Amino acid sequence: MTGSFHRSVIVGAVLTVLGLAAGYYASLIPQGAEGGIGGARIFPYIASGAILVCGILELLSGLRRQDTSPLRLTDIPGEIASLLAIAIGYVWLVSKLGYLIATGLIAPLAMLLFGIRNPPGLMAAAILCPAIYHLIFFELLGVFPPFGEWFDLLDILQGS
Amino acid sequence: MEIFAGLATVLTSPALIGWVVLAAVVGMIVGAIPGLTASAAIAMLLPVTFYMDPLSALAFLYVIGKSGRYGGSIAAILFNTPGTAASAATQIDGYPLAQKGMSSKAMRVATVSSVIGDYIGEILLIIGVGVIAAIALMLGPPELFAIYFAAFVVIGSVIGKSVVKGLASAALGVLIKMIGTDPITADERFTFGSFDLLGGIGLVPLMIGIFVLAEVFSQLENKNAKTIQYDAPSSEEARARNRLSWAEYRPCVPHVIRSSFIGSFIGILPGLGSAIAAFVAYGEGKRRAKHPDEWGKGALEGIAAPEAANNAVSGPSMAPLLTLGIPGSTIGAILVGVFLIHGIQVGPTLFVTSKELVYSLFAAGLLGIACYGLIGYFGAAAVGRLIIKIPTRVLYPLVFLTAFVAAYASRGSLFDVWVMVTAGFTGWLMKKLDFNPAAFVISFVLAGGAEEAFRQSLLLSDNGLMIFVTRPVALGILLLGIGAVVFRIRSLRREAKQDEL
Repeated sequence: MTGSFHRSVIVGAVLTVLGLAAGYYASLIPQGAEGGIGGARIFPYIASGAILVCGILELLSGLRRQDTSPLRLTDIPGEIASLLAIAIGYVWLVSKLGYLIATGLIAPLAMLLFGIRNPPGLMAAAILCPAIYHLIFFELLGVFPPFGEWFDLLDILQGS
Repeated sequence: MEIFAGLATVLTSPALIGWVVLAAVVGMIVGAIPGLTASAAIAMLLPVTFYMDPLSALAFLYVIGKSGRYGGSIAAILFNTPGTAASAATQIDGYPLAQKGMSSKAMRVATVSSVIGDYIGEILLIIGVGVIAAIALMLGPPELFAIYFAAFVVIGSVIGKSVVKGLASAALGVLIKMIGTDPITADERFTFGSFDLLGGIGLVPLMIGIFVLAEVFSQLENKNAKTIQYDAPSSEEARARNRLSWAEYRPCVPHVIRSSFIGSFIGILPGLGSAIAAFVAYGEGKRRAKHPDEWGKGALEGIAAPEAANNAVSGPSMAPLLTLGIPGSTIGAILVGVFLIHGIQVGPTLFVTSKELVYSLFAAGLLGIACYGLIGYFGAAAVGRLIIKIPTRVLYPLVFLTAFVAAYASRGSLFDVWVMVTAGFTGWLMKKLDFNPAAFVISFVLAGGAEEAFRQSLLLSDNGLMIFVTRPVALGILLLGIGAVVFRIRSLRREAKQDEL
């Protein structure tokens, strides 16, 4: 039971709030021509209602337990937070600097995070990863690459 | 008869055979890498298959699923770490054998049993799927909705430690599916004025997030875990000890046959999947074993039973997907995406509109089993050695980068990459808090069809919701779903009481 009192209460509370919020936004959906119980709102209502009920049940189950270990922010380890930051930064960088430069910057960072400390290896990752992924997805498979808003290396490489 | 036409189609196409062989190799390697699952591989490779013809794409991913289930046993036996949840039962007897220097023998038993189980499951699917499809064609929207409802509650409640969190995961999947425009009235739902949300949340980025990025987060958390491999020694005496004779395998045969039928039955039921099949088969095998005290200490039957069961799930789990459009597993949920991307509607009419494709897919499955069987029988130990040489600190950053480009490639949209990142972190958090990511994804896939069936039922009804009560088949299925939840809650309470004692 250790560690489950506050955790269940917090999880239950989050689910309850989510269920209520979803229910509120579901009530803003236009009824449409069908209207009534078969309209566009019914499934969003069912889903939010189910989340609300599950949230309340989880909350009650947490309150019933006599355990006081809280859910702490430190339950999300620093490395996980770093990887999340790298992931968010990666998408942002792609939108600003294009795929090649963004991947060249992020590939060694991700490897560093996983414990690679070898500078030549990190350098190789910075060059090879963008090149290989670019070749496979954007050249061979013909996917249209994401171009950078500020600057894109592809503009130079393709001579435009 | 259709299966022979399907076999002819597959065997006369060298390109298709090539895809099947490649899938057998890829699936085995991915399945054997602890942490990576066949679902993750399929989700990552899904965008690549957009550029293939429908049969090659489906066959490639279907065989990865089969081979990946088998590949999990390599890690379970050699590294004492199940490559997939389904191979955790194999570990119980497989690893003690590896410690005794008989890893190759254990792998051979796992391979032969997996192949037999998979063939039995696939043949039962081929024989039975037409009948199920014919019955499915007779079902109306109320009965279909009842099946969807039963699938939601079974998937939500059966897997995982908490029924409430499982059902909440399923409800969250439904809620996320509601984002976008209403399919009938075109009204906006939960779009908050965002243009990107108008088209809804894409299945591919969601799955890549949940199955791939979430796993990268988990692996980062466990990156210091050490893996020890017990390989078979290379002396002549050791080689002789690792040969598998018919006399040794014969006692396994009844276990393999029984477990194959257990796996096939569990496979048809949505949401239960390979892991449950493997443990049920292991338990049943031990109960009926001549020497149950040897199970857990390196009994060959203890490897054969779960391996046959977990692979027998593969074929029959396609039955609800193909006939009703209801995926019974995460791999099935991903395959729904492939069908849709190629413009093929899964459900009862599939057997009218694309019969040839379906039977060719089954034929590719039969070929895929033979491929992974042969590669595994002669090369499983080599695959194990290869995997131990791949450093996870290089592998997972590459998986991380692949997840991004794969999510982008699905629709050429950076918004999808944001979806993938959000889903990845949410998936990791769900696992950490004992929610059920698989139920979340399967419910996301089911929600569209369920809503359509529900609203069609109400259009047919003169008495609103009473239509679900007045149609006996629909009522029966609804009650079955509710019964499954009640049964699950009671069994969890019983387990909790036993733990307290």
